[in-house]
Amino acid sequence: MNFSYTKEQLKLKEDCINFAKQELNESIYQNDKTCTFSKENWIKCANFGIQGMAVSPDYGGRKEQLNLLSATLAMEGLGYGCKDNGLPFALSAQMWTVQLPIADFGSELQKQKYLPALASGDKIACHALTEPEAGSDVFSMQTTAKKVDGGYILNGTKCLITLAPVSDLALVFATINPKLGKWGVTAFLVETDALGFSVSKNKDKMGMRTVPIGSLNFKDCFVPEENRLGKEGAGWSITNHSLEYDRCSILASQLGAMECQLEESIKFVKNRKQFGKSVSEFQSVSNRIADMKLRLESSRLLLYKVAWMKSEGKSAMLESALLKLQLSESFVTSSIDAIRNHGGYGYLSENEVERDLRDAIGGVIYAGTSDIQRNIISKLLGL
Amino acid sequence: MEKTIIKHIENELAVEEIEDGLEASDDLLGSGIVDSLGMMKLVSFIEEQFAIEVAPDEMVIDNFMTVENICEYIKTKL
Repeated sequence: MNFSYTKEQLKLKEDCINFAKQELNESIYQNDKTCTFSKENWIKCANFGIQGMAVSPDYGGRKEQLNLLSATLAMEGLGYGCKDNGLPFALSAQMWTVQLPIADFGSELQKQKYLPALASGDKIACHALTEPEAGSDVFSMQTTAKKVDGGYILNGTKCLITLAPVSDLALVFATINPKLGKWGVTAFLVETDALGFSVSKNKDKMGMRTVPIGSLNFKDCFVPEENRLGKEGAGWSITNHSLEYDRCSILASQLGAMECQLEESIKFVKNRKQFGKSVSEFQSVSNRIADMKLRLESSRLLLYKVAWMKSEGKSAMLESALLKLQLSESFVTSSIDAIRNHGGYGYLSENEVERDLRDAIGGVIYAGTSDIQRNIISKLLGL
Repeated sequence: MEKTIIKHIENELAVEEIEDGLEASDDLLGSGIVDSLGMMKLVSFIEEQFAIEVAPDEMVIDNFMTVENICEYIKTKL
């Protein structure tokens, strides 16, 4: 394992921090209150080259110059500098669960048609896997794709889909034969203006309120054969393939947010005076800061390890489950600690401390709940 | 090759003990002998044991439904 980063990698992280601080921190309090997605910030990120990190230069990106470790550092920088946790989360979702599968499994036509528009920010895409009756048991899906002349007819519903209400394209998973179980799951690229395809309005939620979420409905929606991504039945491995990349990227931005949160806490408790002295001089406060630092650094080690393993082409099933569990739970606990450190000031929304806690809660649910991560870990340990 | 894979599935990956032993023609996922995590572990085992790389788009029913299918697939990669 080698964590000695190159000058270029460290510069990339620094550039992302500066970019985020200068360009992405307007109106977040208001946007969070009103559940407003900023297309303007999405475009700014594309112009800066964020979405292009998952696309090769042939299709308007810069993937060949960046391995996963570099992209992870970049997202950590973005998470540190950007006070909106939702934006890096949404970017990661598109980059690694839509762009990467198209880049790795798509036909030349699909790559030409979709990747440049996604890298440039002109188009937005979502990954549609979860269903009302298929959450953690996601491959028990009921959305069907019936083979017909020239393509497939899709029927079914997808729910809790990040970016759905603002997407132009959806990577949809449907079964071509429910009897085949996981082996029947097939991936399709469906444009959201297709006949028989409807999308719900944005749904209000606890955290990550700047990222729209919604449902997709397919009623006899025809999808041409050329829009099938990969082979019939390859949907299961296509989605698994991107999972570890997506986790690294999402969790990297959360790690950056945790680092920023810790620094803000330290600054606050040093300045805040009670009983004639700085509250940081009370051990109950300073010990809490020490615990936040421990969570941050232990999470960082796991994140860098997984990113390094994936960069080396190694499988990281156990490590990525440990990472997801450790980092997402740590972000929740440290977000509560940050509020405690700030006292009543941290409880008021206008001071933008409590938002981290609301944003962090989603992390223990999406992309595999903490319960599921524990199941995976124990199973991989032979239990 | 077949015996090695069967032994590994029986000893390490099977969700429950297989009473009469695993047959090379048994449907691994369809009959619940291994679950999806077990299938991922099986792919890792095959890659390491036979020094091949299983591309994600090759993880389809034609190649991985039974031990027989897996052996045929591995032979195409050697």
